[in-house]
Amino acid sequence: MRNRVVITGMGWVTPLGQTLQDVWQRLTSGESGIAPITLFDARTFPTTFAAEVKNFQLPQRFVRSGRHREISRATGFSLEAARQAWMQAGLPEADSPAADIDPYQVGIYLGSGDAALDFVPFTGTAISSWDDAASCLDTTKWGTRALSVFNALREIEQEPCMPANHLSMEFNARGPAFNCLTACAASTQALGEAAEIIRRGDAQVMISGGAHSMIHPFGVTGFNRLTALSTFNDNPSRACRPFDATRGGFVIGEGAGMLILESLQHAQKRGAGILAEIVGYGSSADAYRVTDQHPEGRGAVVAIREALRDAGMQPEDIHYINAHGTGTKENDSTETQAIKTVFGPHARQVPISSIKSMMGHLIAAAGAVEAITCVLAIRDGILPPTANYSVPDPECDLDYVPNTARPARVDVAMSNSFGFGGQNDTLIVRRFVN
Amino acid sequence: MRRVVITGLGAVSSFGLSAETLWQGLISGKSGIGPLTIFNAASFPSRIAGIVPPFKTTDYVPKSYRKATKIMARDIELAVIAADGAVRSARLATRGMIETFGGPQALPAGWKTVDPTRIGCNIGAGLICADLNEMTSALVKARNPDLSLNLATWGHSAEPGKTSGMENLTPLWLLKYLPNMLACHVSIIHDTQGPSNTITCGQASAGLALMEACRTIQRGNADVALVGGCESVTHPVGLMRWSLLNRLTTTGNEDPAHACKPLDKAASGTVIGEGGAVLVLEDLESARTRGAVIYAEIAGLGASATGQPAGQCDSTGESMAYAIKKALGEAAIGPDDVNMIIPPGYGIPATDAADIKAIHQVFSSRPNPWVVGLRGATGDCGAGSQALDIVAAAMAVHQQTVPPGINTLHPLDSINVPHTPQTGIQLHHVLVAASSMAGQNSTVVLKKYV
Repeated sequence: MRNRVVITGMGWVTPLGQTLQDVWQRLTSGESGIAPITLFDARTFPTTFAAEVKNFQLPQRFVRSGRHREISRATGFSLEAARQAWMQAGLPEADSPAADIDPYQVGIYLGSGDAALDFVPFTGTAISSWDDAASCLDTTKWGTRALSVFNALREIEQEPCMPANHLSMEFNARGPAFNCLTACAASTQALGEAAEIIRRGDAQVMISGGAHSMIHPFGVTGFNRLTALSTFNDNPSRACRPFDATRGGFVIGEGAGMLILESLQHAQKRGAGILAEIVGYGSSADAYRVTDQHPEGRGAVVAIREALRDAGMQPEDIHYINAHGTGTKENDSTETQAIKTVFGPHARQVPISSIKSMMGHLIAAAGAVEAITCVLAIRDGILPPTANYSVPDPECDLDYVPNTARPARVDVAMSNSFGFGGQNDTLIVRRFVN
Repeated sequence: MRRVVITGLGAVSSFGLSAETLWQGLISGKSGIGPLTIFNAASFPSRIAGIVPPFKTTDYVPKSYRKATKIMARDIELAVIAADGAVRSARLATRGMIETFGGPQALPAGWKTVDPTRIGCNIGAGLICADLNEMTSALVKARNPDLSLNLATWGHSAEPGKTSGMENLTPLWLLKYLPNMLACHVSIIHDTQGPSNTITCGQASAGLALMEACRTIQRGNADVALVGGCESVTHPVGLMRWSLLNRLTTTGNEDPAHACKPLDKAASGTVIGEGGAVLVLEDLESARTRGAVIYAEIAGLGASATGQPAGQCDSTGESMAYAIKKALGEAAIGPDDVNMIIPPGYGIPATDAADIKAIHQVFSSRPNPWVVGLRGATGDCGAGSQALDIVAAAMAVHQQTVPPGINTLHPLDSINVPHTPQTGIQLHHVLVAASSMAGQNSTVVLKKYV
């Protein structure tokens, strides 16, 4: 007998705002969070824009604690997003005398990415230690410089597991602690595996989601070299065009989404408000190529089918699909194909949308904010649109909720995430019914 | 509940490119640590490491995949080699193996296929560092007179037709360094289409990956999984990071083989290393059906967090003790039933003391099990460390032999450390415990398969 897993708290820090309600209001109004890059001088890069989190300030309680110095943007985002989720879940402050939750029953499972805190010392020491004559780095020279200019704490704060470390400290979570990094699928996978941990009874509460920022020179360089990014520099807010025939790549974003998952029993015992239930999770690998998705979406099909099987559902039971919908040529047609393969004729009946059109692609954190979106769609009966949709693509011929939010009764929503390298994950959330 | 067993072992370490060489090295009682010769480390306070002997990755992949080795960072290469060893020892006729042998008919007797959609892949990884030479050769083309990077030049060609910045990086540059590429390349080579994940929790990654894959098999989402972790810390950036974090011994440069002393009164720091392992986990019925060799059974698993700032251990040992008890509980055994422990054993006085506290909290006032720390032999291989430890534990159970505790001549507080291989004893259960620099703990209890 496995535990039912419910969501009792949610929080996010995104390019469209930093509260649950603000971001949701903007998403359902079709607003864009995409603009020229301000975090570094990207004016000559092939792509000059991104979806940045604007004016982020670490809340005072985290500054005061002194435990979060030298942190990355992603760790800061994760702390604030988790704070929102923790508050909404009505969980006690860790240091409050009323705290009667066993810290070992509170686990963490994030899909967070690595940070780049050492760009300046890295490039500076590397260039100044280059031996032009030998055409290689003089490691003796580099070592001497590096040992004096790099900051030990900042080096370790770049590790992808550091958001999990800070949440563990802040919320006194001593249970199972994981971070996975399966590229763009990471936080959907984190949520699915966190749910499995609760189902088995290895923890009663899990803080789960993801945080990531790759809006730094090497992050944008990497994706630009892969020609994965949109280069519509003249019109950033219209640059990400999922499922549209003129789509030309994804838009790099940053942020965090955090959810509190709980066993139903634990949530009910403490009288928590239940936002939704996680009922299905599927995971697979394309095992095809590191550079391309399988052309028929083989792995995506397996992930979606496995999630349906896990939920004990048929395609007809799904009322809304929050697509991976990156806005790249390849993803959107492959994802469409995969949905058709699994859903058959019902594929045309189910509304599908991509919030990446407005929020950009939060990479490892994308799945978490998309899971939150699914819960809000269920709560409010409204589907966020796919913005920037104007030219139909014969290969993408489903209902993408173009440009305008749509009222709809949603009891069950599905979220897809597919990573570079071929790891695929699908999550199904359902309106909570006791 | 389905039972999960280990049916294949592959390892890469300073001892060699197989689980067998790792085990022989450990049994020999000699350390694999030597002078750091793969780059000039003269300006670093620690100049020793556990380096994997020279290899050609193309020897470990099918012919059709040789080209792809060009976009593998060293961490990925290590995982590909370890996976090759694991799949061979399990006699699994994966896509890669069938091609390597030259077709299904050419496979040796006893090799069997498993439905690729029923094979998972869960390999822990570290933060893979960009190759300094490759990166810098591109950066210098966009340098300012003051030797900083000119971002404007880096962003595009200053003169049409001339490449001055990021164009000097291969288009697939990013893919060399994504941590999930360890699992992705392995899943492509061996056509594992089941659940695949990449745990990035430092030195606790492999145990957590094994835990997750084991659950996947137990609940029926896969029958087989390739699990483990690999990392290379033996590059200038890794050495710089570990040095600044004060983890490394600086007194052992003249005598590398005895530099890192896990759980020893004279411990003065750890040593960087590279390596890791991949194991084949398998549902017992699947293993029996195909007549696989069973090295050990997974008996219990645990995980916890220290809640301490990065780089600081849980000096109370409480969180690790919790994870150990959790694993013993799942194994339905008491402390008396554990015959051997492989703790983190970095050879860093503060973390060693925490290891001992955790061990005493669980095993106090009982006949003490053997305690064997491996970092003096292999170095700290980041996400690869616990994977090596789990392979060593599986070999110990399978061979019914406790390897000696290399460099632990004067053990801390009343722990039993063997100085020679211990045979002729019953080895029922072996515990492997790991703790990462970022406060994640993972524990694995293996038992003799009966």
